[in-house]
Amino acid sequence: MTTDQRPDFHAALNSLEETTMDMADRVERMVGIAVESLVTSDNSLVTQVISADDIVDELYMDIRSRWMQIMARQQPMGRDLRMMAAILELNNTLERMGDQAVNIARIARATAGLPREETILAKLVEMGDLVKPMIRTSIDCFVRRDAEECLLLPAMDVPVDVLNRGMWKHVVECGHDQPLLEWATRMVLVSRALERVGDQAVDIGEQVAFLMTGDHHEFTRYTG
Amino acid sequence: MSTRLEPSPVMVESAVSTGAASASPALPETAPVIFDIKGLNVYYRDFHAVADTDLDIHQNEITALIGPSGCGKSTVLRCLNRMNDLIDGARVEGKVLYHGIDLYGPAVDAVEVRRRIGMVFQKPNPFPKSIYENIVFGPKVAGWKANLDDLVEESLRRAALWDEVKDKLDNSALDLSGGQQQRLCIARAIATSPDVVLMDEPCSALDPIATYRIETLMRELKERYTIVVVTHNMQQAARVSDRTAFFSVNVGENGQRTGRLVEYDFTDQVFTAPSLKETEDYITGRFG
Repeated sequence: MTTDQRPDFHAALNSLEETTMDMADRVERMVGIAVESLVTSDNSLVTQVISADDIVDELYMDIRSRWMQIMARQQPMGRDLRMMAAILELNNTLERMGDQAVNIARIARATAGLPREETILAKLVEMGDLVKPMIRTSIDCFVRRDAEECLLLPAMDVPVDVLNRGMWKHVVECGHDQPLLEWATRMVLVSRALERVGDQAVDIGEQVAFLMTGDHHEFTRYTG
Repeated sequence: MSTRLEPSPVMVESAVSTGAASASPALPETAPVIFDIKGLNVYYRDFHAVADTDLDIHQNEITALIGPSGCGKSTVLRCLNRMNDLIDGARVEGKVLYHGIDLYGPAVDAVEVRRRIGMVFQKPNPFPKSIYENIVFGPKVAGWKANLDDLVEESLRRAALWDEVKDKLDNSALDLSGGQQQRLCIARAIATSPDVVLMDEPCSALDPIATYRIETLMRELKERYTIVVVTHNMQQAARVSDRTAFFSVNVGENGQRTGRLVEYDFTDQVFTAPSLKETEDYITGRFG
């Protein structure tokens, strides 16, 4: 029977993973609220995203600090070392995803008084609806140590990339109306932010594969 | 007449080709094989200490043997220069090929084996003589004809001890610090011009600074010598070795504990993504 000879270390490692997953849950919600703030122009939602990001930033610093202590004190090896490496990557990735949510929310606030183009807005909502399950899938795969399901993430990312690449066409069509063009140009940044969030969910999937196999390799991504 | 143990190109080539076929698990070949261990079983009277071990040791590399107490790693190490011969009731089965020569062959001289394959022990064990005499003792017995002063200086320099002791070579070796005594033992081991140095827990009695110096020295020495080190300290194995062999213990129905090789691979691989769960459980502290 296997007995844990390093219970304190493994408790600290488990706690670090739990904090990282807490951060992931918050970031997933932030992305959803940010897109909602764009649709509703509700400033309280913008404030909610920015406040949530302050907490995410605190978690980021906390994870970094505990990560350093564990590395210095425990010198993890094997799957523990891979978990530490994956957590460090996730911490950076999630913090940036949170920043993207804040970017979207700030744009929602800045463009609240401008005219909108419903086709563009619908595309952005669709992108939001696509990336939120990607975040959930990547995090669930991490929790379940599922190196198979995370291979679905690049395929889930394809429609997000397609929508992002098609965004310019819709923006150009707004060229006749100056205030509308200003709004649409800002929406390109939103589209780009959501596209990055999709990529970052794929990055998390790659960390799951590394955690389980020890092999570093990038998933094949859509380049069309 | 005893068998000559000096390697020849033919012997080395033979050992490499044989090792490539027999290594278990197979490893990429990057350096010539110096020891090719095949089907090694070691007994102390009725006690089966090590079972069915196949292992290649590569030239000018540091190979670490790790595993829990009683896994047979020190027993395997002692088989590499026939130190087990000195233990009453010890019996070795299988082959330990050194440059293609079976070390346990009937015509092999165990004393010559130990000259070619030196050993450094857990506790520094200098002779109660001067620093100088510690170095020249072995070579004198072996009939060294060249300049002894040069030999002493060269050996101490290679052991990174010369600058600290050059003005007190006639002082007792026992007046040195623990770390200096261990480096003196390394200098003594290399004074007989071995091509392999075996180290059995060489740092376990040393403080961290002395340990760091020995580890640095090991990396320097591997340019000239092949090093095999037994260590309980996994961080040390990870720091210094090129390859790592993980041994574990099988407990029989009668409670007898027999050591066996579980996994052998490049050290980078063993400590980041080992192939076997048993290895991973050990290095992550999930065992017992």
